[in-house]
Amino acid sequence: MLLEVTVPTLLENCTQGQTAFTIQGATLQEALDHLLETYPLLRRRLYEETGRLRPHVLLFFNDASIARLECLDLPIQPGDRLQIVQAVSGG
Amino acid sequence: MATQVLVLVGTQKGAFCYRSDASRRDWCLTGPYLPGWEFYSLLGDSRNGHRLFAGTSHFVYGPSLRVSEDFGQTWTEIEDSPRYSAESGFALKRIWQIVPGHPSQPERLYAGVEEAGLFVSTDGGRSWQESDALTRHPTRPGWFPGNGGLCLHTILIDPGDPQRLWVGISAVGVFRTEDGGQTWRTCNKGLPPVPTGQPYPEIGRCVHKMALDPCDANTLYMQFHGGVFKSTDGADSWTAIETGLPGNFGFPMVVTASGHLYVIPLISDEQRFVKDGKLRVYESLNGGQSWQAVGTGLPEQAHFVGVLRDSMAVDSLEPAGLYFGTTMGEVYASADEGLHWQRLPGQLPRITTVKTWILED
Repeated sequence: MLLEVTVPTLLENCTQGQTAFTIQGATLQEALDHLLETYPLLRRRLYEETGRLRPHVLLFFNDASIARLECLDLPIQPGDRLQIVQAVSGG
Repeated sequence: MATQVLVLVGTQKGAFCYRSDASRRDWCLTGPYLPGWEFYSLLGDSRNGHRLFAGTSHFVYGPSLRVSEDFGQTWTEIEDSPRYSAESGFALKRIWQIVPGHPSQPERLYAGVEEAGLFVSTDGGRSWQESDALTRHPTRPGWFPGNGGLCLHTILIDPGDPQRLWVGISAVGVFRTEDGGQTWRTCNKGLPPVPTGQPYPEIGRCVHKMALDPCDANTLYMQFHGGVFKSTDGADSWTAIETGLPGNFGFPMVVTASGHLYVIPLISDEQRFVKDGKLRVYESLNGGQSWQAVGTGLPEQAHFVGVLRDSMAVDSLEPAGLYFGTTMGEVYASADEGLHWQRLPGQLPRITTVKTWILED
């Protein structure tokens, strides 16, 4: 199944110039793993050395932050989206 | 191609480049390059082709090291760039300094980073390894960040000995290696401690910037948090050299190939802009024995700006060119060792680093 992925323009160098593309995966976890294996620079931009997601990076699976999901072993359905979003950081 | 002079300017919102010929009278500004990214370090490296290295960072997406082979038009992010191991417990936040290795090591580069550490590349910047003897130093638990962060901002290499290096870490002090980074010793004797609350009396020295004398690798100069210092014994000890300065606080310090020194004093650590709004460069032509304000062409009106530690540079031409960028995004240049200054075109974002790059193709 294909998951629709969008990334911020600032990170397009990590994804071969793309800001919207699809990635293969039967589950959200599998697609996320595939995404980071395909684009290793993206892992550097999203995760700290410890493997923890950077504090101001949000990954939305459809309308839910994946940090709030109990498990990422969710089957990918047609039209599912993964959005990489910068958390609001203004004054 | 005749000599071209490039002044590379890193800011909190991208990089810029000024270009001129050897006369350094007329300047053309290009940029911004990578405008969403903060630049804390730049290096124009002509040892193997023309490569422009940049330490970029973003408060959300973290630090990255990039290289351009077309003077900033396109960039490649280096995948195997400086990075602490997960087990180290350290986090890489910014790359504060990128310097070429000793002339005998044309593929070598060094990077100074925050949290403080030193990384080395021996393959022209394609891959990087931590010089972890420094971060395993017995004093490491007492390294305490200054206002700018726990940054390793200065890397100096002995021109006569590629194994002998000095590094400066803000609010920690100076370290020297004589075996290519396998062991490091503190070099802070004579420098006053700053309050850090840490139980390591040999550190806690807030070095802001250091420069190595071009003729004597045992002579170093330092702009300290509150003081300007000189060492004549390879940094084993330091003595104050402040005669003629209006204040001893500041950040940048540079030295020309002829040994002339330049600093830009600020009023104090509490205010961090120039005294009385007078933006002035001070020079010493006698190895720091005395200082005096130099040059015409700097603003006469009230000008309450600061100049950050890496925002002043010299070029290698004769007479030497001097360049500095302010916290208000202005760049000033002198083609005659500070006697006459001109403001270069444009108002840029807050300037974090200024470097020169001479192209002699």
